[in-house]
Amino acid sequence: MSWEPYTPTSDQPWDSRRTVHLHRRTVFGACWAEIERDLEGDPQDAITRVLQGKNRLGGLRPNFESKSRLICNTALDTGSVDRLAAWWIFRCLHSPFPLEERLTLMWHNHFATGADKVGNLRLMYRQNEVFRKHSQSQFGALLTNMNEDPALLVWLDAPLNKAGRPNENLAREIMELFALGIGHYTEQDIQEAARALTGSTVKQLKYHFNQSAHDKGEKEILGERGHWTPQDLPQILLQREAASKRIAWRLVSEFFGEGVVSSELRDELAAGLRSNGLSIAWGVETILRSMLFFSDANIQSRVCDPVSFVISTIRSLELWENAPSTLAMAVWIKRMGQQLFQPPNVGGWSGGRAWLSTKSVITRSNFASVISEHVNAQTTAPTDQINSLRLLLGGGEVSTNARDANSEEINWLHELLANPNAFLH
Amino acid sequence: MINRRKLVQNSGIVSLAPFLPAFLHNSVQGDEKENAALRDEKKLLVVIQLTGGNDGLNTVIPYDNELYQRHRPSLGIPADRVLKINSQIGFHPSMRAAADLLESGRLSIVQGVGYPNPNRSHFESMAIWHHAHVDSRHHDGNGWLGRSFDYGTSVDGATDATVAVGDAQIPAAIRGRRAKAIALAALDDLKLMSAINAPKQNDYQGALASFVARTIQHSYQVSKDWEAEGTEGAAQYPATKLAGDLRLAAQLIKSGAGSRVYYASQPGYDTHAVQARTHGDLLREFSEALKAFLDDMQDSGLDDRVLVLAFSEFGRRVTENGSSGTDHGAAGPVFLAGKHIAAGCVGSHPSLVDLLDGDLKMSIDFRQIYASLLEQWLGIESKRVLSQVYTQLPILKA
Repeated sequence: MSWEPYTPTSDQPWDSRRTVHLHRRTVFGACWAEIERDLEGDPQDAITRVLQGKNRLGGLRPNFESKSRLICNTALDTGSVDRLAAWWIFRCLHSPFPLEERLTLMWHNHFATGADKVGNLRLMYRQNEVFRKHSQSQFGALLTNMNEDPALLVWLDAPLNKAGRPNENLAREIMELFALGIGHYTEQDIQEAARALTGSTVKQLKYHFNQSAHDKGEKEILGERGHWTPQDLPQILLQREAASKRIAWRLVSEFFGEGVVSSELRDELAAGLRSNGLSIAWGVETILRSMLFFSDANIQSRVCDPVSFVISTIRSLELWENAPSTLAMAVWIKRMGQQLFQPPNVGGWSGGRAWLSTKSVITRSNFASVISEHVNAQTTAPTDQINSLRLLLGGGEVSTNARDANSEEINWLHELLANPNAFLH
Repeated sequence: MINRRKLVQNSGIVSLAPFLPAFLHNSVQGDEKENAALRDEKKLLVVIQLTGGNDGLNTVIPYDNELYQRHRPSLGIPADRVLKINSQIGFHPSMRAAADLLESGRLSIVQGVGYPNPNRSHFESMAIWHHAHVDSRHHDGNGWLGRSFDYGTSVDGATDATVAVGDAQIPAAIRGRRAKAIALAALDDLKLMSAINAPKQNDYQGALASFVARTIQHSYQVSKDWEAEGTEGAAQYPATKLAGDLRLAAQLIKSGAGSRVYYASQPGYDTHAVQARTHGDLLREFSEALKAFLDDMQDSGLDDRVLVLAFSEFGRRVTENGSSGTDHGAAGPVFLAGKHIAAGCVGSHPSLVDLLDGDLKMSIDFRQIYASLLEQWLGIESKRVLSQVYTQLPILKA
């Protein structure tokens, strides 16, 4: 198994399971028409549609961008984090380019910044647009932008970092979390990097370099000596092999399940990133087109995040008109443990099995209950529709005893939406 | 739509089995069984934050000191109403439950707790207590308990290290750079809105899918037990907000949730005017909730694992103000409670003569308490969390 492009084999055919996998893992699920279309064609074409933002057939909105702007402006005017989250949910649900939203979410998790401490929602919004704009750029563009991002600077106390009174918060997280990873720097490097970053601050909601707070002395960072300024730090870090490995780690943890990718293969991906200018687009395309991505071991091998859980539910049921409001969805997602714009800490969401706590499982089940009541009020489901739904939701079983003894009480759709496979992707 | 409550209570689908300790739960197998058993031996810390600046002088009262009545002409509690602890100090009369805890050897009063150069801003002083740093440059949102669990002391990777109970947002004290903190508001969060079958494990093969199936089973079980307990009321709690929050913490502990820190807050202590009645009510709510919680732990056989810390961000001015209230002050008492606490008083009551700008002087740094809790109770190296070594106090029974 390797990064070779996926071609269907008798062992690993291009079947509905793999088609659904592509959509569930990368673009918040699918509606049935999208699966039917992809099944009939070549898998690489289906992947191309995902990469180019041409995969969606259902839920598209005319004038999507202007509607999005309107929702966003209202959210910013109210200053409500939930409303800004609702705006993002709207985009995830209706955008013609859902992979871009998936990657924006990945970068929000990578450069995890919390609205509470930042204290200004507009800064959170602007940061989010930077993530979106550079979601598939070279990683260097993202890192240099974040190095001057007002929300991130406030979040990590950059304004307190002054010559003679260093605050290491930003320097440490840039090295440990954003660019290199633990083990690729020393405490001394962090102190020196903090000195280089002195003077970076926020003024009138914009990046500002305060000359008088900057430590003009010589610094030695990762063996390189110079009178480094804030702008020099990302350049020093991006040259390191560790940076490519950090990005490879991030992409692998976003698109693969537990233990699917060996460390050798991850290093191979890192090497590829280095020869491609740390291009995120290259990394994402390599992953999505690979045998490894479509391997049995990778299918249904992750606990899906709450955003995916909620949106794939809505998309599989095609609840375009009668869905709960995106604000209600944002609140459900928050209660499931993923409050957008408010990650638990700078390390982002732990993800994986940690998505499932008693509280979040109950909340997922309750969301499924509300949705199933909603749907049952309007439609009855023929068997072929139930079977399509089962596939779209990862192939769960509806237990037979539900229908035997208590067919009136237990809602089959509730059970399907809340079954273990629907919690995975 | 069906009546959910009726269904939950009467249907065979949802059994009303009593709580099972996690390690006996039939869904737990193999090494997870060992994890659960190990987890069940871990010591837990429950924190109660008295938000707003508790008037310590009217909480633990130096009734025998004539200066006390002189400083508190309208708010002073007459000596005959004080619940005597010893010949000098006693509890506020509304703290009967606390006096009972002391009598049964489950309460310790650490006196004159504070920090150098007291800050009288609610926000700043609370940040100092949360971060365990007096220098605001260290106030980065990651508090002392969050930091304590940043470096892998949790047994089970899927477990929340710290839980805030109640509807307030997660306090900085329990946030860490890595530690997982969640907030849980009582009632709603653990209730299933409609009946559903737990997945059958045999239907789900593979490590991950069966993990998910087990987790769902376990969660539904916790929810059912929560509901059952809610109707039967095995444990007696007063009908107050704090008691409800502590009850939720108790429920989680009993369900084997695995978290090691539970954090509750009781707001309202910022008593600048006409405080007598308000303050008495707050202290009653606090004392009764604390006692109900500890009794519940005792009845559940969990009291060997639980210790409670109660603190406020500062005390109040010694001399009452012109509106029968008190203004922001400095040092105050901290309470430690539980079966293993060395009951009684630690330190002596602050002097009413030797004041600092009209406030009580500290004699014990709050970080000494943190260090003692970390080292003696939670088994965590305190220097790593607090950046330096603090002299510990003898907080546990010998």
